[in-house]
Amino acid sequence: MISSSDNSHSRDAHTHNSDSCCSSTPRIPKREILTKSDLERFQTSETYEKYMGFITKLNEAVVDKPLDYSADKSDNITFLMELLDKLKAWVDEIPPADVGLSRFGNPSFRKWHDKLSEKHLELLTIVPEDYKTEVGTYLLASFGDYKRIDYGTGHEASFMCFLLCLQHLGLIKEEDYPALVLSVFWQYIMVMRKLTHAYWLEPAGSHGVWGLDDYHFLPFLFGSGQLSTHKYLRPKSIHDPEILEEFGEKYMYLSSIKHINSIKSATLRWHSPMLDDISGVKKWEKVNSGMFKMYKAEVLNKLPIMQHFLFGSIIQFKGSADGTEVEMEHVHAFGQEHPLCCSIRIPSSIAAVQGELRKPIPFD
Amino acid sequence: MSVGSLENWIEQLKKCKPLLEEEIKQLCSMAVEILVKDKVVQKVSAPVTICGDIHGQFHDLTELFNVGGQLPDTNYVFMGDYVDRGYYSVETVSLIIALKVRFPKRIAILRGNHETRQISQVYGFYDECLRKYGSANVWKYFTDVFDCLPLTALVENEIICMHGGLSPSLDTLDHIRSLDRFQELPGEGPMADLCWSDPDERYGWGISPRGAGYTFGEDISEAFLQNNGLSLIARAHQLVMDGYYWQHSGRVVTIFSAPNYCYRCGNQAAIMQVDEHRKRKLVQFDAAPRTEPQVSRRTPDYFL
Repeated sequence: MISSSDNSHSRDAHTHNSDSCCSSTPRIPKREILTKSDLERFQTSETYEKYMGFITKLNEAVVDKPLDYSADKSDNITFLMELLDKLKAWVDEIPPADVGLSRFGNPSFRKWHDKLSEKHLELLTIVPEDYKTEVGTYLLASFGDYKRIDYGTGHEASFMCFLLCLQHLGLIKEEDYPALVLSVFWQYIMVMRKLTHAYWLEPAGSHGVWGLDDYHFLPFLFGSGQLSTHKYLRPKSIHDPEILEEFGEKYMYLSSIKHINSIKSATLRWHSPMLDDISGVKKWEKVNSGMFKMYKAEVLNKLPIMQHFLFGSIIQFKGSADGTEVEMEHVHAFGQEHPLCCSIRIPSSIAAVQGELRKPIPFD
Repeated sequence: MSVGSLENWIEQLKKCKPLLEEEIKQLCSMAVEILVKDKVVQKVSAPVTICGDIHGQFHDLTELFNVGGQLPDTNYVFMGDYVDRGYYSVETVSLIIALKVRFPKRIAILRGNHETRQISQVYGFYDECLRKYGSANVWKYFTDVFDCLPLTALVENEIICMHGGLSPSLDTLDHIRSLDRFQELPGEGPMADLCWSDPDERYGWGISPRGAGYTFGEDISEAFLQNNGLSLIARAHQLVMDGYYWQHSGRVVTIFSAPNYCYRCGNQAAIMQVDEHRKRKLVQFDAAPRTEPQVSRRTPDYFL
């Protein structure tokens, strides 16, 4: 059942800390990165290399291949496509609630997510029984935050971790990589477009105009990879409506630009100055290498994102988090004695100034 | 520093032209001197116009002044979040600070959760300063000013204004007055709550999904208003599609003043005018039209 992985990223790879984290017994992934120093250690870990190595290989696999490239699809690729189709179809079955024009984030997203929670393990029929929960946890974390009804690059990274787990378990081979990006990953993006559109998911931790995109990063990375050897399409082509029209269905990068233009007002210079700036780069190859640098710096090196990154027996790392994530029900008002049932102390300004920030950076 | 050159700065900023680094330094040190005199609970008289988040949408701030009236003819309370996400946070916060320095009695500027080092470093303002000035110096000057911003404003002993909402540690205005605000906004505690909390349909205090501040129910709002002899909590902090949103049986109003937030949300913006008879009126406005900006492309360092 579990074929051993055939490349250097073997299952018994060690991270820097070689205590309990490194057993290969499947377990529920949890957060490990809590502090700046955890994040610094993560940057030099084998797991980091493994994750970026995976992204690099996937990028190489799609060079010069448009989205309609007819790659042979293995049974598992077909399985993943059907899985994503199901998740997409659920959106039609669970229409957004009529809540009037009050807030962003439609509560029906939670119904969709409940369904995913309920069904995801039984859907993952290709995954060996003992790894289902571990692998499934990454899938579950790939479509946005249940409570906040938002979505961002951290969730996108979780989907890549899901795929990385499948690769580790031998369910995906290197020859599947072109289809894994051009079909599976792209289908995942289509699911996300449908979810963000139907339920108005808020962009998680958006940098506004100072970010690449409200939600995604990797379509621009893989997308520039696809185009890196293209004979006549240039980065500045994103300003040409005719090119977007003609090639929007073939290349992720152009499709993403077309999509952004369709949902934002004013021009690209106004709503997406980063993408506009990048269009001044001469070659796609340069855009592609820049996307790698930017991904490492702006996603994998950002604590607000990486504090939610999940680690288990396949994607390993041991940080300073003690693993006790207490779900707190209620808090008590000023002047009341701190009750035993409640782990929040108020006032707690003293705690806030003690040493390194150990509380996750809040979302806004 | 003469009033004349301050006026020149304001005129320049109104054209969306940023000041020089040296001028920002000067402006910020003047602002600190003025802001330290403001109270944690800054008293404000009607008539006054109360505004919510701006987030660097400079052209929409101009529209706000067109709709609401210019200073010093109209008095203003701004409830924070001048920076991050929008393209013109530098120009926006410079103008707002310059107006505060020029008309200190006419405008109150409160602290939002983005007027902090931790948040503005992540959500765009830091990058913008770096890009527009080539160093983080102006970001440092601005964030020093942020440490002095008052946390609440009290309009005619009726309306309490803050960026986020209430805190379980703060039952009375005197509790708020006792806060030592001159510091980076802590990650938790009463100061953080004022800038981070959100009203909620559920009663009592709740854990905020944001990871900072709390959610507070109608019972909490009612008790706070009653204890302090007030009638309304005006706050910002959340995107609302009409620009304003009433909750807690009219006890809480959310005001959001960044129309079509991030060029995609399609929301209207609003401001609340409180006239000399303390009558309240919500005025909505739409995003100002954009002409193509005159900027040259600059390749981000990653792509050089």
